Amino acid sequence: MTTRILTTPAEPPRRSVRDDPRGDSGRSGPRHADPNGSRQGGSLSGLTTMIRFMLRRDRWRLPLWVLGLAALTAYFANAIGTVMDDEALASMTVFAQNPIMGLISGPGYGFDEITLPRFITGVYGVFLMLGAAMMNITTISRHTRVEEQTGRAELIRANVTGRNTQLIAALVVAVLMNAALSVLMTLAFRYSAAEPEPLASVFLFSLGVGAVGCVFAAVTAVSSQFSAFARAGSGIAGAVLAAAFVIRGLGDMSAVQDGDLKWLTWLSPLGWAQQTAPFVLDRWWPLILHLGLFAVLVPIAVRLQSKRDLAAGILADRLGRERAAASLSTPLGLALRLQRSNLVWWSVGVFTMGVVFGSFTGAMADSAAGMPPEIVDIMGGAAGIVDGYIGYMAMYFAMIITAYAVLAILGLRSEEQGVRTEPVLATAVGRSSWLLSWTCVTALGALWLMLLAGVGDGLGATISTGEWALFGPSVVGHTAQTASVWVFLALALALYGFAPRLMALTWIVFVYSAVMTLFGQMLQLDEEVLDTSVFRHVGQYPAQDLSAEAVLILIGVAAVLVCLGVLGFRRRNLITA
Amino acid sequence: MIMTTHTEGPAISLTDVVKTYGRVRALDGLDLEVSRGEVHGFLGPNGAGKSTTIRILLGILRHDSGRIRLLGEDPWKHAVALHRRLAYVPGDVELWPGLTGGEAIDLFARLRGGVDERRRDELIDRFDLDPRKKGRTYSKGNRQKVALISALASDVDLLLLDEPTAGLDPLMEAVFQECIREAKDEGRTVLLSSHILAQVEALADRVSIIRKGRIVESGALSELRHLSRTAITVDIATDVPQLTAMAGVHDLERIGTRLHFSADTAELPAIMRTLGEHEIRSLTATPPTLEQLLLRHYDDADRDADDASSNGSSDTHVLTTTGLTSRSFNEVRS
Repeated sequence: MTTRILTTPAEPPRRSVRDDPRGDSGRSGPRHADPNGSRQGGSLSGLTTMIRFMLRRDRWRLPLWVLGLAALTAYFANAIGTVMDDEALASMTVFAQNPIMGLISGPGYGFDEITLPRFITGVYGVFLMLGAAMMNITTISRHTRVEEQTGRAELIRANVTGRNTQLIAALVVAVLMNAALSVLMTLAFRYSAAEPEPLASVFLFSLGVGAVGCVFAAVTAVSSQFSAFARAGSGIAGAVLAAAFVIRGLGDMSAVQDGDLKWLTWLSPLGWAQQTAPFVLDRWWPLILHLGLFAVLVPIAVRLQSKRDLAAGILADRLGRERAAASLSTPLGLALRLQRSNLVWWSVGVFTMGVVFGSFTGAMADSAAGMPPEIVDIMGGAAGIVDGYIGYMAMYFAMIITAYAVLAILGLRSEEQGVRTEPVLATAVGRSSWLLSWTCVTALGALWLMLLAGVGDGLGATISTGEWALFGPSVVGHTAQTASVWVFLALALALYGFAPRLMALTWIVFVYSAVMTLFGQMLQLDEEVLDTSVFRHVGQYPAQDLSAEAVLILIGVAAVLVCLGVLGFRRRNLITA
Repeated sequence: MIMTTHTEGPAISLTDVVKTYGRVRALDGLDLEVSRGEVHGFLGPNGAGKSTTIRILLGILRHDSGRIRLLGEDPWKHAVALHRRLAYVPGDVELWPGLTGGEAIDLFARLRGGVDERRRDELIDRFDLDPRKKGRTYSKGNRQKVALISALASDVDLLLLDEPTAGLDPLMEAVFQECIREAKDEGRTVLLSSHILAQVEALADRVSIIRKGRIVESGALSELRHLSRTAITVDIATDVPQLTAMAGVHDLERIGTRLHFSADTAELPAIMRTLGEHEIRSLTATPPTLEQLLLRHYDDADRDADDASSNGSSDTHVLTTTGLTSRSFNEVRS
């Protein structure tokens, strides 16, 4: 080739700077797009648009929640209404006045002259309230902090929307959901086999459920302001809910025994709703407390939001380590690091709950003499009431810690969806190794929490009764229940391996097992049916014998499910961006 | 773990690879070969299948059919062993909110098999990153830096980079190019998926262009250019009648004193000799840029859509797009 091609750098294209618009220099200040828009710049601009947008986004989610909870009401009302005849109901009277029923269900208004509606609202009402609270926590988090965390809120806020529009719109949507829930619940309950009368009491009960929902919408609106992370915000709200449940439980337990701690109930929004005592006292005024708390919390949320930057928390981020610690070198180290803070918080909560629950042991022993014999029988006989209580607590904690384990395994999915699993698996870390590391941390975490619950319960029991002999059995009884927890952990993992979308099925199995164990006897179901619950096999030590066989079988089932999960995960595609 | 280290053969070789997502064929018989020690540019529009290809190479996604060898091994079966020898940088880096950048850099490098501390510190310095900040506080560009530093600080044979500089500013882009040249000098293989053409032009030895899950063009940049036409503008008073009859001259047009035409690159020497016999005042020749190479294939897509009625070959269209680029402007005077 004889031609030489010389290369010279390109000259950037020149733009004329003369065509600069001259209008600006002549004006004294920036011109607003809207000349008479003095009222347009409010912090709530675009509210109706946002509300419509949120309803559009929730066109499936909203009806599912509302109809789901209404259907649950219908189920309880019809099932109890059909199963229970007058005789069965009468035998419930004593059972329903049991302090443990006080702890898990409520104050039991009118249980001395029990009727179907009283029984349904008194025993199952609180669970509908928990459902409504969960509905509100997830709704507010989804429409506020999740939007900020994903950066979508920035796009919204860059338009003509006020600073508080999203928050208020989300609250409006939540209140609408609660209103719809109250109405549907009234209808579902009213036209059930339980045939509750009068309608006003039915409505009062449903309104109480909705009011609890509204309070937790406001609680989440506040808690979402603290951290830049949706999970932390809804976590705080969830902790408030758990505290409200426990405090109310302690108060109601005391109330059933006619103790001195009844007032504790009045510290909990769940307690307020139960204190309306539908079908008994029919008090409307406790609902004012919900309204008041809602009216206090919402302005606080608005104030906090106005003080902070978009997508930021109230608490500023600090600088961290420049280099990774030696422990952060393996998949196990990473899994531990990622689950650590969660585990620490659960440890604090579980230990505290253990001590608190345990310290009621003394009161149980004292009141055994005054309790009807039927209750004493259920709790293990007059001599064994203390053992019965501790054994029951062991199973109760197994349920609570199952929630921890399933949530931690669900974390695997959010890691994968957040595209943080991909870069880990792009290093020399195998899929089984990653999955087993994570599982190992969660499984040992569950064991540790059960141990801690046993220690807490044992300490509380010892302090309140002065008998150290209770401590050892409490620790053993609680720790043995870990086997049940592991089954749920492994089920979640197996679903993660094959079909991460179906992981929520674990909750269904969990709720089923919990309901069977807590209420199965009351529903007078057969032993064979009751035994389908995972929680009923280990044995409520020290009241019942521990079944080593059951423990081994449960661990075996868990091991098989974990293997399945690993197999599935090794075969499937990773969720990618 | 015992593994025979294959040092022969290409670093990456995909033959007739198909990957479907339900009814969508993401990869539709893809063939790609990357030799050891080369920087290979992997070009294509969004959704063409670049990331899918790289994730299949990582063993993160499973392919439906076809043969794949990465450093001589099957990437699905030997993912872990292979990952010791490669580092991957995705286009969209997500970090753990609670871990600092420094921790993430160390973690990734350690999980790969070790970190060169001196190299790490040097890279942190060059990329101007504060490693003490938490993952949640980093901007997109900074998260990208974390993944890049960790990859470059690992002693690996192969770098799989999937649009690695999306979000980096021009200064950091320059640092990145320096680092890739150093990696090449150290004998590493680099697969660089990108749609920043300047970056690929500056770094790549060879280029593959992917469209709709197939490689439509592959080769050294100079070879690819050869396939295309050079736009020529000559300032000349007299007519050059020979040109109209010459092979390789297309779209000849006179505007004032200027002659415009496009020339097959292979015929350039003959055309230049012919022009040399005339009184030329000036001559500008614009070799095809990567943009044009790419546009040629993108335009095909449009053309397929509105049926190939306009008789001209795709090249004609390419040349009309010359004016789009002001970069890479070469000039010839005779």
